[in-house]
Amino acid sequence: MNTYSLSILLRRLTAPPGLSGYEDSIAQEVEALWKPLVDQVSRNRLGSVIGFRSGRGAAPRPRLMLVAHQDSIGLMVSGIQEGFLRLTEIGGVDHRILPGQLVQIHGKRTLSAVVVQPPPFLLPPEAQGGSVPLPYLWADTGLEESEVRRWVRVGDPVSFARNYLELGSDLVCSPSLDNRASLCALTLCLQELCSRQPVWDVWAVSSTQEEETLGGAVTSGFQIRPDIAVVIDVTHASGPSTPSHKTYPLGRGVTLGWGPTVHPKLYETFKDLAEKLEIPYKMEPMPRYSGTDADRLQTVAEGIPTMVISIPLRYMHTPVEIVSKKDIQRAARLITEFAATIEIGFMDKLRWEETPKT
Amino acid sequence: MKELLRTLVEIPAPPGYEGLVRNQIREWIEPLVDEIRIDPLGNLLAVRNQANAPRLMLVAHMDEIGLMITHVDQQGFARFVALGGVMPIHCVGGRVRFLNGAQGVIGVEKNPASSEIPPLEKMFIDFGASSVEDCPVRVGDVAVFDRPFLDLGKRVVSKAMDDRVGVAVLIETLRRLEQSVFELYFVFSVQEEVGVRGATVAAFGVEPDLGLAVDVTATGDTPKGHRMEVRLGKGPAIKIRDAGMIADPRVVRWMIQTAEKAKIPYQREILEFGGTDARAIQLSRSGVPTGVLSIPCRYIHAPSEMVDMEDVENAVRLLLRLLRTSHPFELM
Repeated sequence: MNTYSLSILLRRLTAPPGLSGYEDSIAQEVEALWKPLVDQVSRNRLGSVIGFRSGRGAAPRPRLMLVAHQDSIGLMVSGIQEGFLRLTEIGGVDHRILPGQLVQIHGKRTLSAVVVQPPPFLLPPEAQGGSVPLPYLWADTGLEESEVRRWVRVGDPVSFARNYLELGSDLVCSPSLDNRASLCALTLCLQELCSRQPVWDVWAVSSTQEEETLGGAVTSGFQIRPDIAVVIDVTHASGPSTPSHKTYPLGRGVTLGWGPTVHPKLYETFKDLAEKLEIPYKMEPMPRYSGTDADRLQTVAEGIPTMVISIPLRYMHTPVEIVSKKDIQRAARLITEFAATIEIGFMDKLRWEETPKT
Repeated sequence: MKELLRTLVEIPAPPGYEGLVRNQIREWIEPLVDEIRIDPLGNLLAVRNQANAPRLMLVAHMDEIGLMITHVDQQGFARFVALGGVMPIHCVGGRVRFLNGAQGVIGVEKNPASSEIPPLEKMFIDFGASSVEDCPVRVGDVAVFDRPFLDLGKRVVSKAMDDRVGVAVLIETLRRLEQSVFELYFVFSVQEEVGVRGATVAAFGVEPDLGLAVDVTATGDTPKGHRMEVRLGKGPAIKIRDAGMIADPRVVRWMIQTAEKAKIPYQREILEFGGTDARAIQLSRSGVPTGVLSIPCRYIHAPSEMVDMEDVENAVRLLLRLLRTSHPFELM
């Protein structure tokens, strides 16, 4: 069995565009990577990849679900006019950075194009002055209209051009690091678990359509009916002039979600584990929603105790998302140790006590 | 089919109060199906059995947007709230009809900034009453917009095309349907306009292998209207995405290939706002591959929604072809 380094995994996992709903490319990559690591890999009806690894406890064993979404934000062709392409978004895109971006149009043939904006004097007054809103931007393929119409149709997905960059020794810059960074952590965890003997069954889920409906997690959760679900996603890292109470420093550890989405006993367990392993962490208050798969996963069927672990990321929903490899490693280690050491009777201790032991 | 549609749109059915239209549909389709039932939320489920065949759930919603009385004052004026996406711009001067037959007109408080559209809280319904005793409605009574069916020839207009046109398409499909490769659940759903509630529970109960909603979509063919490729009269639309879902690309491909093979005109639809019952089916249980067959419709949620009868006819033709054509992908 090959084990891959973090860098190789991250390169492979950020290469496929895999926009929400159009995830075959990333799903295939995840299947290929997970196949040697688990007992069984399957794809569920909506396209989530599910890896199952049997625990060594006596049956019926409790089930731990580890979830990271595989889909990525992007754009979609919404109209063709004089050979130029009008665009709409898949997931939420930061419109301000779109002009000048290189993109790929996934039509009958994959075409390169550049997102352009008209000169200000051609825009209606309400669209002048600030950043140009998406309805006024175009993708230019450089092809004649007849050629464009031959290869491109309304509804074709448009992804950011792939461009994986290592910045310094620890940082990585690429499109789709939301949430391939977490998918990388989850894959590292599965690699690591090969030499460990968890007593619980482990269900790894590479979930579909998080950026649109949280649909992959909610349907996989229904299918698997886990006793506990741990969601791994990204959170806003500190950057130039960001407020420190809303962002988390890059390369200084993971965040542990705290709020109604997160089961307090799970928070406490992860906190204690992080401290024991000397993994730096910050509490991330999530007063209403977590903004992750956990929001809907928590209320699947009769309810699932849920935990959210996040990897800080700068410039979210842009093509130059930046994460720290160390933070990915930390997230991987934390979920690995949790999966490997959770006891068979853990659920008996799981009570919703509001005050965490700090 | 125009007569079928005319009868359907003239029946009032605000969200949660779909009984009248449900009774009518049931009367028409009961002889055409093997099994018919009403679930606990009021969805009407009609089944065409087919042993060892994948189960396809078709859904069109019975409800239309409407309003509900919240207060009647001493002079007999009634305040109201919206049931579903009622737009204030279409309300002032409008007429409404209550399920008990009462009719009234919508008035508005004196508006200091007359260029602004007043919110619904500034509006009231005038029944021509002069006291609370005179007023023919009570708190909790529900109404729909009162606007008669308009026949413009090829195109027709009503306050309830959304989604009685989908209901008509399903009924007409049932009438013409002979064979299907699927076990078919025709679901006429409740409470779509207040958050796809009927379809959510219907999908859970039916447990389909495949889902298809028939609903209206907006168009981009009116003066300075939506930026949208769909046009009235250019064929039914096959939804690729809307604000509520990304239609399953495999279902989209099946629908497009079937339309092209049968030489039925169709349009590729991207709707940047709104959603349908299909979202509820897609996310039901372990997930269901789901698509939407849309009827292009101008002025959605205004009391004068316009559709083209040719699009409606072509939607029925496409649906009939789909029901005879196996989906070209594995169902897990």
